[in-house]
Amino acid sequence: MATMKVLAMPPKGSTKKKPGPSDGAATPQGPSLAEQLSYLHYPRPFKNPYYNKNVNRRAKNLKAVLGQERERDRVKREALRNSKAERAAQGVDGMDVEEEEEEPNYSSIEAPPSVLPQRHYCDITGLEAPYTDPATGLRYHDKSVYALIQSLSPGIVKDYLSARGVNSIVK
Amino acid sequence: MDIDEPTPTVYTLPIPRAPGPPPPAEPYALHRDAHTPLVLDNGSTTLRWGFASSAAPFTGLNAVAKYKERRTNKPLLLFGEAIDAESGAKSQTRTPWEGDVLLNFDALENALDYAFVYLGIDTPTVDHPVIMSERICTPLHSRALTSELMFELYNVPSLTYCVDGVMSFYANHLPPPTTPFTSDGLVLSFNTHSTSVIPILKGKGIMSHVQRIPWGAAQSSEYLLKLIQLKYPSFPTRVTSAQTNWMYRTFCSFTPSYPTLLKSLSNPATLRSHERILQFPFLLPQTDEKSPSELARLAEKRKEQGKKLQELAAKSRADKLLQKEADLEYLLDLRGESELTGKMSRKEWAARLSAEGFESEAALEDTIKKLDVYVKKARKKEAGEVDEPMEEPSFPLVDVPDEELDEEGLKEKKKQKLLKSGWEFRVRARKEKEREREEREREAKREEEERETDLAGWSSKMRKEQETLMGKIKDRARRKTALTDRKSAAAQARMKNIANLAADDRVPKKKRKGGGEDMFGADDADWQIYRKINITAPSDDEEDDLTSLHEIERKLLTYDPTFTPSHTHASLTSLSSALLTSFRPPYPDTDPAGHARIHLSTERFRVPETYFSPSMAGTDTAGLGEVIANVLARFPEHEKASLVKNVFLTGAPSQVGGLREKLEDTLRPILDPEMPMGIVQAADAGLDAWRGMAAYARTPEFGVHGVSRAEYEEWGGERVKRWWGGNRTGSS
Repeated sequence: MATMKVLAMPPKGSTKKKPGPSDGAATPQGPSLAEQLSYLHYPRPFKNPYYNKNVNRRAKNLKAVLGQERERDRVKREALRNSKAERAAQGVDGMDVEEEEEEPNYSSIEAPPSVLPQRHYCDITGLEAPYTDPATGLRYHDKSVYALIQSLSPGIVKDYLSARGVNSIVK
Repeated sequence: MDIDEPTPTVYTLPIPRAPGPPPPAEPYALHRDAHTPLVLDNGSTTLRWGFASSAAPFTGLNAVAKYKERRTNKPLLLFGEAIDAESGAKSQTRTPWEGDVLLNFDALENALDYAFVYLGIDTPTVDHPVIMSERICTPLHSRALTSELMFELYNVPSLTYCVDGVMSFYANHLPPPTTPFTSDGLVLSFNTHSTSVIPILKGKGIMSHVQRIPWGAAQSSEYLLKLIQLKYPSFPTRVTSAQTNWMYRTFCSFTPSYPTLLKSLSNPATLRSHERILQFPFLLPQTDEKSPSELARLAEKRKEQGKKLQELAAKSRADKLLQKEADLEYLLDLRGESELTGKMSRKEWAARLSAEGFESEAALEDTIKKLDVYVKKARKKEAGEVDEPMEEPSFPLVDVPDEELDEEGLKEKKKQKLLKSGWEFRVRARKEKEREREEREREAKREEEERETDLAGWSSKMRKEQETLMGKIKDRARRKTALTDRKSAAAQARMKNIANLAADDRVPKKKRKGGGEDMFGADDADWQIYRKINITAPSDDEEDDLTSLHEIERKLLTYDPTFTPSHTHASLTSLSSALLTSFRPPYPDTDPAGHARIHLSTERFRVPETYFSPSMAGTDTAGLGEVIANVLARFPEHEKASLVKNVFLTGAPSQVGGLREKLEDTLRPILDPEMPMGIVQAADAGLDAWRGMAAYARTPEFGVHGVSRAEYEEWGGERVKRWWGGNRTGSS
């Protein structure tokens, strides 16, 4: 498509210019924009110099953090249950038992899976999809879209399915 | 945005602004000993900070990049939009938030450093009570580390945590100065990585009834990116998620009734009217445009080169001719020598000949004759005469009977026989060709006459032929696909044929006893079965059909005015439906601008719809409507009424168009018909959380709910006081 002119390359090394005699009148190269915006060398007097952050502490990832939360929650719930059982065994007034509600935490407030019936949408066009292709599992809107689906390669079919969240590992 | 114009508007991507030095903050002297509360809204996308006395916060992208400049080897630390100044820094970007949760405290420390440096703080400690936002039901690990950072590294006197959604609600329902905050409402907080529903009764956030869906602006723009990549698999440039984020904000909108909209969009014209066209940058193909004088010069050069070549060829020919003439003369002399010197002995003559390189006298004569003919021809050509027709070669020895010839003569005769048969065959072939050509000419003439006398009849005949051929091709294609399907009739028939061929009872029993054999192949037609069984072999019929089809179409195209290229077989087979062409309009290969265009039609509505049904995009959670219904279901009727009367939308992603109408449409059916419903959007969806926090910081009750230094040292970083604007996790 593009017709490129092949230029004769200048001999190597000819582009490196030897620094000429400096006469001191040349303007020095100013700091680049990034250097100007960098704040690495700004004084930060408000920081506590004696604070030694535990450098060996590795940043926990999400899975570890959530696991820790779950663990803590479980322990607390067990303790609560034990104390309740103890108190019931001792025969203390039921009035004293405080209604300790389940404390919400990050994982517990997540929404449950949907119980409403799901509508089918065409994987290619996004319109409604009354039909499903048995060979690939893609949903389609009408026969012209089906003709398109038949011509797709397996890699693209897999991409369409993964956009819908169907990850078939078999193929 | 009006697409009723005959030529639709084509949008271009926004040009990214080069980051410049930040605007100056107010001098720190105003706040140095005033203990003005410091308000930090730590958002997943942007960090907003400022003193409580300011009207608006300073904002910056919540990202930090530690980068070593390659050229000067200087280490750099860049914050927010400044990261764009250095292209290499983008890969080193670190954000404090990893998705939904605050995990990277190194980055948080650098971000806070920037905020404090920007405000001009120069005291040994950050001597202001801080109010900071955290996410709803944050993991305690995040809070512990943040507290550690604030108290130990920056030595703040007190720290208050709050939830951004509740504070935004507060900012929009500010109570008069001395009255406590007692508004009711349902806050829908749209954040970058999640969306939460928070009920607020009597000014207190009911944290135990909060629900969150893991779908936010980041997931939406990622989904849009995926859809675009699927629609345009061979797009010339890379589309980044920042660009799709802009596309989502600019072009996408919610629709109240998604199914009705889809029904209307199945009409291609409506689909086209709803599309937005986005032009990406593209490269023009480099054409070597030369001015006419240049072209003329090139032509001249080429002609000269041609002439030179011709001259060279002529010279070489002349040289060869001279050489050959010399050879001929020499050979003639040689022959003459043998005659002149009379009876040279046979042996000597043979020796002489072999010295020259000839086997026998006949060979010598042959060579002489050839050279003679060549020279004569060349001379004639030079002289410019026309070639005289080749004379018929004579084969005299063929007719002579064998006995009369000697050994050499026999050899000669054999050779001549071969030559003669070859010659005759060639003559015959030429005659055949002549005859065929005449036949064809006669056919063409006949057809032309027919065409000229009765164009309609001829064209209908041609068209019928074309249709039959197309039908044959289609049948063949159908048969081919039927054969791949194991259960189809064609495949089963094929298996039956194979089974019959291999069956034991091909030969009837009686014959077998008598030593009979399978008589397959005796009849030539039997072999045709292999054509039917072998489906993978390419069939010659297809190509023949195709070529004849092309011929007919060509004739029709040239002579029949009513036959257009759209009737040809090629265009009919590659016809894709009107729907698909309006969904993804094709551009010709010669149009680089067209190939770098994205058409967004159904995606504009499909992506926001995922908020209400995330399973469309593969996330298996309930949608926003369902979650709101779940949350409301846990409240008694009168509380529900007060919640629903004041549904509050906050967060930057809530600014996408059509959200209010969509929510009204979703909530109305699940509520009592008489229950009044009101949906309100935040005045400034992005900054209202900060404003609420600043307003709260200015009230006298500020500081009561915070954690002071002493309390931090006693309780640790995780414990906070329970109050109306804060989280309940870890609170007491």
